[in-house]
Amino acid sequence: MAFPSRKAAVVGVYLTEQGRGLPRTAWSLELEAIKGALDDAGLRPDQVDGLIPMAYVTPLNLHMAWTEQLGGKPITYLDVGSGAGAVAKAAAAIDAGLCKVCVIYFGNANNGNGPGAQKRHDKAPRVDDWDYMVHGAYMSVWYAMWTRAYMHQFNVRQEDLAEYSVIARYHATLNPASIMGKRGEITVDDVMNSRPIADPLHLLECPLDNDGGYAIVVAAEDIARDCKKKPIWVLGGAEATYTDSYRTITSPWISNEGAAVRRVGEMAFGNSGVTHDDIDVAGLYDCFPVTVARDLEELGFCKLGEGADYIKAGHLRLGGKMPSNTDGGLLSHSHNGNPSGMHTIEVVKQLRGECGERQVPDAKIGLTLAQGWAVHGLAGVAIMAAD
Amino acid sequence: MSEPYLRPLPAKSPGTEPFWEAAAEHRLVIPKCQNCGDWNWIPYPGCRTCLSEDQVWTPASGYGTLMTWSIVSRGPPGFPSPYVTALVELDERPRSMVMLGNIVDTPHEDLKVGMRMQVVFEDIADEDISIWRFKAA
Ligand SMILES: [Zn+2]
Repeated sequence: MAFPSRKAAVVGVYLTEQGRGLPRTAWSLELEAIKGALDDAGLRPDQVDGLIPMAYVTPLNLHMAWTEQLGGKPITYLDVGSGAGAVAKAAAAIDAGLCKVCVIYFGNANNGNGPGAQKRHDKAPRVDDWDYMVHGAYMSVWYAMWTRAYMHQFNVRQEDLAEYSVIARYHATLNPASIMGKRGEITVDDVMNSRPIADPLHLLECPLDNDGGYAIVVAAEDIARDCKKKPIWVLGGAEATYTDSYRTITSPWISNEGAAVRRVGEMAFGNSGVTHDDIDVAGLYDCFPVTVARDLEELGFCKLGEGADYIKAGHLRLGGKMPSNTDGGLLSHSHNGNPSGMHTIEVVKQLRGECGERQVPDAKIGLTLAQGWAVHGLAGVAIMAAD
Repeated sequence: MSEPYLRPLPAKSPGTEPFWEAAAEHRLVIPKCQNCGDWNWIPYPGCRTCLSEDQVWTPASGYGTLMTWSIVSRGPPGFPSPYVTALVELDERPRSMVMLGNIVDTPHEDLKVGMRMQVVFEDIADEDISIWRFKAA
């Protein structure tokens, strides 16, 4: 059976304030985001019958609490996922009649991913036997090891990868809602001279670690046509995982066959009927520069080992071949704990023509990639169109 | 008095006792599948290759090659700065196993992709556990 292209659309998106130490709870940020995204669509909370939290623990408890918070009407589609993959699954569920209005959401408050957010103990805390925390690994350390392996395998210079940080910051300067935009543009030298975090990575190669919430509403075709804003149709997408969550990795780490991201890219291009050249604007998961290089390779925008060259050629910059992460991405806009839906929101805004100074002219078709968890371990793609 | 060890430590969950008992004797044991002969790291209920649950904690060589590493300047509370976190691919085959751990007793400037490494164990002071580390072989 073919993917149900144009049978569902993103009809509402909403970002709360993004920033460090917001005096909020995750729950209140989520409620604001859900209400905001429904209002953006012109829909009511009692119309929601599908829920996909960007969460990986006690998801059923979450669904049950939200059912009551949203008015007590039974939720008939319960899922978890990564932002872009969730959009694709929501569209498929809607086409199958499992729900009509599906909300994808996340909120984070005072619960960072970085070492600064971890508690100090007066006795060694006990964790899962094989937990990476025993060995002082955290997200930046994993990606530092990945960056080193990548540079070694493909003879790539760190300065070339650092070009991504420069592009992301430039885009952030055009996004008033971004956390880092007001600090102005940066150069490759600024990146390379910033504080070392986990060698070879410096501060300006690492993502932000802040609070914030967001929500995305996907609705059935008949509802979407009556919403407040023009529907952004879901053409295709997919979600995949291939390894456990930061406990083991495979060898080779970067292989010709690729893994989760390669798989979802092939599936999404296949089931949407869209080609690489059709993509006007993209949201590529960008927790570190190397992630973007690998995104481009695994999605087939360039060959293995050529991602840094693609970035350096300026293709991702506004005015380039495929402007990407025009909000400033996870390095310069916001990384709010689980930001896997953030890229989808920016691409939807681009396809609606709502991006002001950073608008990609005539953006009609957009691709969004969410990944993470064990370094490209979980991936989702959604391909969407303005009409 | 040395500083107390405040980094996270493994819980020694049920079923892992043979691993920690061997570690206390500074020996590395890893589940080996009695059906197909493959090694499985980290331990899972079944073999990754054939799904057999007939796995036996078996002594491994403790040698491997350095895949990648990071010298970490900004670590979580309890970690001395800088420290080195690394991935080492163990020699055992046919399925290869990549092990995460800290590198000790090896000058940072000597680290090279592909260099020979060996597993060593550190007895954690005032705790009932020994943790594996890597050092240059
Ligand atoms: Zn087996």
